[in-house]
Amino acid sequence: MLKVDTSTLTDVINQCFDYSMDGRFDLNQQSAFLAEGKRLRGLLLNLLSAQFDDATPAVLKANKQLDAVNTSLSNATAVLAKTVQTLNEIAALVGNLDKLLNVAASFI
Amino acid sequence: MTRILYAKRKAAIRQHSSRAGGFVSTEKSGTKLAAFSNTFIAVIRHLVTTVLCVAIFAGCAVNRYQAPVSAFRDRTQQTIGVLGDFYSSRNSYEIDAYLQVVAADSKLEVLETDAQGQPTPLGRPVFSPASIKARLDALNLVGIYAGRLYDLANTTAPASFQTSATVLGDNLGSLDKTFQKLQGAADPTANKYIGPISGLIGTIGQMFLEHARDQLIKKAIADGAPQVDSILAQMRDDMDNIFSKEVVTGAKERLAILAHAYNVERSQLTFEQRTARLLEIKAASAEAAASVGSAPSNVVSSMMSAHKALVEAAASSDKARPMNLAALNSALEAWTTQIQSLAAQVKLLIH
Repeated sequence: MLKVDTSTLTDVINQCFDYSMDGRFDLNQQSAFLAEGKRLRGLLLNLLSAQFDDATPAVLKANKQLDAVNTSLSNATAVLAKTVQTLNEIAALVGNLDKLLNVAASFI
Repeated sequence: MTRILYAKRKAAIRQHSSRAGGFVSTEKSGTKLAAFSNTFIAVIRHLVTTVLCVAIFAGCAVNRYQAPVSAFRDRTQQTIGVLGDFYSSRNSYEIDAYLQVVAADSKLEVLETDAQGQPTPLGRPVFSPASIKARLDALNLVGIYAGRLYDLANTTAPASFQTSATVLGDNLGSLDKTFQKLQGAADPTANKYIGPISGLIGTIGQMFLEHARDQLIKKAIADGAPQVDSILAQMRDDMDNIFSKEVVTGAKERLAILAHAYNVERSQLTFEQRTARLLEIKAASAEAAASVGSAPSNVVSSMMSAHKALVEAAASSDKARPMNLAALNSALEAWTTQIQSLAAQVKLLIH
């Protein structure tokens, strides 16, 4: 059985929350990071116990996307320079993870 | 040692023989009694030698498991208490987190189902009650295992081991009675043997008790250990893969929501209101710091280490046992320290 990379998802969520409290971003950007972090955490709670059939394409794609977003967020300077783009990447991730809940084989 | 005893006994006999009014008082009866006493002295010497040898080769008559198994039982109960509280509070923790989000945004309603048709923590528990109960039941099972080991290590039922002790015990018992009959004028020195013989009977009985108890504990640990290890390993994986992620993101979310709400609303707050909000933020910050330490997982890991040391001590040879018991005691002390520091951290995580 395949699972979503919840360790990386946890890191992404915490980075969103950290940036929501980062004075280098304006208040609107902080609000946006907070909102995405809350959405992602809601998805995490469902995905922690979700299992998928082996090699489910949507899961493999989501895990790659998680890795990419995590890498982007880990560089604060890059995030500051491309805040809008980064927030769009996170929003796309939220959408894809949300779709996974409908294809989960089981929840343990 | 036995040669010294024999030499002293011979010297005492010579001394008694030369005194008037000693047990060699008349020529005829004195000769018989002297021969009788010499025989008993020889028997006692033989028995003392035998008992000392058995004690030495059996690793001495000490309940070596009582202290470590009692400590293992006590630490297990404490760990079950801490982890039981943690498991039981998971869903109320998520309800708190959800209500925190609502509180921070006056535009949000309190709902059981959100606008996308998904249940909120109020509408459906995040962690199924059956799953939580299964984990609590598994914890209780480990507690029962530790309790049974404790019962075995502290049994005082020599009747259970009577068969092993009967033969030697009967012989010693009749010897004890014989000396009791002899005490007084017939043999004034006989009473000196009554106390030691009674003590020997008790010692030998205890040695059979200890040996049989040791075997029972070894078997109980060997039989139960694989299942306990499996339960604890699953529990630790639960903590690492599910609950630590829930807690670390939950604590961070709580802090971020409080901080953001303060930053947005601070110009509208009085000094007292700002102070109260900042105190909440401080508490949330402490919780976030505690959550990073993986407290529940560490408690389970230290319990697993102590259990592993207990299994090794039980399975070890007589030669290796002292070293392994020392290692067990060290693991138990480390576990004790972990429980104390982690219990305080877990308390911060329980809502």
